[in-house]
Amino acid sequence: MHRLLTCFWILAGVKVPRNFRLLEELEEGQKGVGDGTVSWGLEDDEDMTLTRWTGMIIGPARTNYENRIYSLKVECGPKYPEVPPTVRFVTKISMNGINNSNGMVDARSIPILAKWQNSYSIKVVLQELRRLMMSKENMKLPQPPEGQTYSN
Amino acid sequence: MAENSGTDPAVETNTEENAAASATIIKVTVKTPKDKEEIAIAEDSSVAQFKEEISKRFKANQDQLVLIFAGKILKDGDTLGQHGIKDGLTVHLVIKTAQKTSGGGSSQTSASSGPGPSQGNTDGSANSSPAGNLGTPQGSAPSLTPTQPPNMLAGFGDLSGLANLGMGSANFMELQQQMQRQLMSNPEMLSQIMENPLVQSMMSNPDLMRQMIVANPQMQQLMERNPEISHMLNNPELMRQTMELARNPAMMQEMMRNQDRALSNLESIPGGYNALRRMYTDIQEPMFSAAREQFGNNPFSALGGNTDNSGAQPSRIENREPLPNPWGPPDTAAATTTSGTATTTSSTTSSTTPSVSNPLGISSSSLGNGMFNSPGMQSLMQQISENPQLMQNMLSAPYMRTMMQSLAQNPDIASQVARPSFPKQQLMQQMLQMFAGGNASTPTPEVRFQQQLEQLSAMGFINREANLQALIATGSFGDEIWKSYSAISSRLPL
Repeated sequence: MHRLLTCFWILAGVKVPRNFRLLEELEEGQKGVGDGTVSWGLEDDEDMTLTRWTGMIIGPARTNYENRIYSLKVECGPKYPEVPPTVRFVTKISMNGINNSNGMVDARSIPILAKWQNSYSIKVVLQELRRLMMSKENMKLPQPPEGQTYSN
Repeated sequence: MAENSGTDPAVETNTEENAAASATIIKVTVKTPKDKEEIAIAEDSSVAQFKEEISKRFKANQDQLVLIFAGKILKDGDTLGQHGIKDGLTVHLVIKTAQKTSGGGSSQTSASSGPGPSQGNTDGSANSSPAGNLGTPQGSAPSLTPTQPPNMLAGFGDLSGLANLGMGSANFMELQQQMQRQLMSNPEMLSQIMENPLVQSMMSNPDLMRQMIVANPQMQQLMERNPEISHMLNNPELMRQTMELARNPAMMQEMMRNQDRALSNLESIPGGYNALRRMYTDIQEPMFSAAREQFGNNPFSALGGNTDNSGAQPSRIENREPLPNPWGPPDTAAATTTSGTATTTSSTTSSTTPSVSNPLGISSSSLGNGMFNSPGMQSLMQQISENPQLMQNMLSAPYMRTMMQSLAQNPDIASQVARPSFPKQQLMQQMLQMFAGGNASTPTPEVRFQQQLEQLSAMGFINREANLQALIATGSFGDEIWKSYSAISSRLPL
């Protein structure tokens, strides 16, 4: 019996990396690591599972996203960081790979989500999305009026 | 907050103003994509007040400022504390160059299509609260301080501090991976993982434990195959008992002995042995393979190979009594008697059969050797010892004390720590400091710690000064530790 529990403990011990990792990301989010164009944090400070996060991307200059603030929801499931998080725009945006009606980011269209590595992080995802905003295919896309959000 | 001038942007003046009005001044970095400024502001300021300061510094109209922290937009009515904004943290700023008002919603950010977040354009926005309505839940969430993330993660209260470190070149993931690698190459470490105070801290919270265990996909599989397991997990009483036992090594030893006794009785029942074996096979194996998968290797089989086990071991059963003994054989070895369970109790020989009291068949000597002498572990320990804050954070949780006590009672670990090949002094110091958690209110430390000082030097820590410091930091908890250590060292052949 206790051997079972021993094993439980060991298995549980393996859960620690996920939480360590997310805590690290939490810290980084509060410290503003990076160039100041993306931000992230827990959606609910009491979220014990460190699952639901909010992210912000500041639209890059010289694009149609310029100076807008895009709010996102990022969900890090139990297998994170072995599997990528699910990402969803809350602020309406017109961009390749983002579902027009609900803001869901299509993991297949976003390279780092499609080829996810466990060394990637929420920050990396946000930065990548921002980078994609500057791509030729996206930067000139007409954008919805500022401040609109997806209804879900 | 009283202001004597709205035209003086000097930090010092601001500081004075703030200091006159409220408690602590914190320095917050405000970062735009182009720029970065450090602003001193009272800790209990509102966002609006903060924006006032920012507008001065960045020469922008307050209405143009959008502040973002940890993925949330800060509303004027919020306070910095609400969002957990503390000294040294960074807030992101977007200066909206308002040229047209967006359609829809009254509380939207003013739109801008200017050439970039430039400063000081006239504000054409109709709203006075620049916080954009972006649909994110914001505002009155309780503040999240950087060192105390979600309080449910009591065990991780410290770990967030851990997460805070840039420990040399390794971050946490690397460390963890390192540890796992070590594990794979060094099976004894497996038991050490169990003894890992971090893991232990999680153990102390049955709900958390259960959550984590259940969340593990392999466990889920296991649970499907073996409903008994989920039954066990869902039995809070059982879990609680287990946790209790985990905390109380004496109790555990006792129960171990009882169990071993019971087991040896079972053996003698015809068919009993088979039943035991069967249970073992049914349940233990899948657990082990699941654990194995986790570690990507086969530490258990190596452990099995560690033993004299030739299949005639009767004691690997699972029964319903919660009797984990993460401290394994050293405790039983250190126990005065093995109470008539000679056949099943783990022995202190170098090759130990897996038994009830020694679930992984770790022998006491290999236990010690395994853990501390493996280079990976040592480098890990070194990193940890180089960064006392880490240890401090790790162990400042209250239940950590009991864990460390148990660890301390493990004579093998104590002996390892005392071995000269280890950067012990530093480590000991830090360990003691950790135990204390900063409780340093001890009178006449020299006198008080006389005994401990002697013991320390007997163990080889000859820097009396440092020892004293460490002991001072230890406080009352240290006394407990020291009792354990004294008990141990009197038994050690040092």
